[in-house]
Formats: sequence, structure tokens, C-alpha cells
Amino acid sequence: MNEVSSPVESDRKPGVKAGRRLAVVSSMDTGQAPSPDALVEMMAQVAQRRDRQAFALLFRYFGPRLKTFFLRWTPSSAAAEDLVQETMLTVWRKASYFDAGRAGVATWIFTIARNIRIDHLRRQRDPLSLQPEPDIAPETVEDGVLGAERDARVRSALTALSPEQQTIIRLSYFSEKSQTEIADELGIPLGTVKSRTRLAMNRLRALLEERS
Amino acid sequence: MRYAAGALAAAPAVVVTAHLAGCPVCRARVGEYEALGGALLEGTEPTQMSATALNDTLAMLDDEDAAAPFAPPPLAPVEIEGVRLPDALRGCDIGRWRWIGPGMKMSRVGVPEDPEANLILLKVGPGRALPDHGHVGTEFTYIISGSFSDRFGTFRPGDLAEMDDDVEHQPVVDKDGECICLAALEGRMRFKNVIGRMLQPIFGI
Repeated sequence: MNEVSSPVESDRKPGVKAGRRLAVVSSMDTGQAPSPDALVEMMAQVAQRRDRQAFALLFRYFGPRLKTFFLRWTPSSAAAEDLVQETMLTVWRKASYFDAGRAGVATWIFTIARNIRIDHLRRQRDPLSLQPEPDIAPETVEDGVLGAERDARVRSALTALSPEQQTIIRLSYFSEKSQTEIADELGIPLGTVKSRTRLAMNRLRALLEERS
Repeated sequence: MRYAAGALAAAPAVVVTAHLAGCPVCRARVGEYEALGGALLEGTEPTQMSATALNDTLAMLDDEDAAAPFAPPPLAPVEIEGVRLPDALRGCDIGRWRWIGPGMKMSRVGVPEDPEANLILLKVGPGRALPDHGHVGTEFTYIISGSFSDRFGTFRPGDLAEMDDDVEHQPVVDKDGECICLAALEGRMRFKNVIGRMLQPIFGI
């Protein structure tokens, strides 16, 4: 983290918050995923204090994952990184709109990335529309006094699936690939992809309803 | 799920957005699928970023802060000849009503992110039947005003009818008034009768 100079460092209050942030740093260094609460804490630092170290932590955690996400839609590593950058700059700009009661950090960042992908598609098709319209894309994370609870419910339902089922859901969610292409990628017959997708989705829905 | 994933084509996405504005149940469902997106994102294998990516981005934060703060512009209502349309159509290019048959008018809607989007507004008089048709791809219809019935039931303002490609149906507008709806097709309509097939190339539906 040393390369990040933080002009707000000097006015940070010592005490509990700083200690908690250090705990976050060390857990990231050991390669463990930060907890949902730790992510919310980082977002709060970014929103309230414009804290660049917290932003850098979010970037280090989500950047490489967002890159994988965008690589599903574009083959170019440089283009994917540009989209990651655009996503993270939007996170910085709109940080004050993040509401932990409505959605978890990962869900919020996912919807930003999704909208940026939709926007990117539009610019590709119509290069003359230079005016960005970031808010035309749907922003549907709402209604959730229970947003954080819902995120936890979905997460726990997802991890209750077999690794095979998780893979098939990830592939059908994160790409425009047809089931035929997914069959090729996994080296299994098309019929198996179809039945496995259906079973996985039904099981996920059943798990979600059990938990609601 | 395709809507939450951002994988639904532009025209159907507009129709679904129109419906979501008035349907908390579906919004909750979409919220769940978005949470699935978040959980999947966290579970995704990371891909190594270039060494300068973080510092490049940090360097741009100053410009972000110098730029005017994010503020959505005030928005005018969307309408066609005095009829209020769903906000989901904001930014779309809405044509004039054109006569396409007795008691039937259509307006093509241009969607900025997809020039090939197949999105139309339909205005059909009371008691009129739309041509019996099947579809290539799924059809999404959002009812703006009035109501229509087919063999699946009656659809009222705010409802979303989603018809799979293997479905054939003949919607009939209910007798108490004209019906205006917004329809998107992933593929093209497949009319069963000759008149429908003759109209198809002319109106591009």
C-alpha cells in the first residue's frame, strides 16, 4: 500500500476505526476475501472521507475479478482493463449513493459493471453518441430494507450448490455464450448442459425460497 | 435473470424496465438475481491486472473530483401525441402513429443502444383482434392502457406478458376501450394468415 499517498491520512481519527482498517489490510495480504462488513467499511471510508487507501483496497480486490467479468464479453485484455477502470471511477464518483441497507458492496459494484458494459455496447454500435448517459441503464437495486440480508441469503444459497452447478450458473450468467458454446468449453454434451442448467437454477430457486 | 445480468437485448430490456417501475414483486426478483451477480463476481477467479492499473486509476481521481458533481438532469415526461408513456422509453426515438390495419396503429421505437431493436408501440381499437401469430424468439409486451385477452388470460395496464417462441396466441382487445401496448420481439413475428405475412415486409415487424 506504500505507493498510495493519502492526503487525508493526517486528519484521520486514531482508534477503533484505524485498527479495523489495519485488520482489513492484513486479511487481504494473506489472500483471504474481506468480509461483507469489511467491504461496507471501505465504501464508507471512500464515501465520507474520500479515502484513497480504502479505494485502493477495493480496487485490488474487485479489479482482477471485474477484469475476468469483462473478459467474458471482450477478448482484449487492455479493453477489459479500461472497463475495470471506468467501473472503479464510477464507484469513486457515486460512492455517496451506496447504501449498505439496500445491497452489499459486491452486488452494487456488479450492477455498475453491468451498466457500463451495456453503455459500452451502445457506444460501439453508435460511436456518434459521445454524450454518456450512465443513468439510462437500469438501476434496480432498491426496495431493500432487507438488501444486505438478501445478499447473504443469495450467497449462502449459491455456496450450497455443488461446484459443478456453481460453474454452470456462472457460465450462463456471465456470458453471451450459447449453451452450445458452453458445452464446448466444458467438453460435455449439449443435452447435459441444458439439463444441468435447469437443475442448477431450480435448486438455487428452491434454496432461496427456503431461506426467505 | 438475463435482465439482471444485462444480457437481455435492448428492446426487451426497455419493456421489462417499464414493467418493473410498477411491480415490487418483480423488482425483488431482479434484486435477487443482481445479488447473485454480486456473489458470482466475488467468486470469480481473479485475472492479473497490469502493474500500472491501480496507480493510473488513482491518478484519475483528481480529475473526477474536479469535475462537476454527479447530478441527474431534470427529466421531461415521455409522450406520444399527448399520451404519457413509461419513463423506460426516455432516450428512445418515438415515431408517429401509423395506420397498419382497421382500428390498428403502430409506432416504431428506436432504441439508442441497438439500431436493430424490434420495439413497437401498438394502439388497437376496442374489440379488435391482432393477427394470430407465433414468434421467432420471445415476445415481451407491456400494457400501457386498456386491456387485452388471449387464451392465457387478461392483461391490464402495468402487466407484462412474456411469450416463448413456441407459443401461438391471438390477443383480442377488450371491448371497454382501445389498448396501447409496448411490444418487443427478440426475433420476428410469424403470422399465420396471408394478410399478416403480406404486411410483415411493409411494416418490418
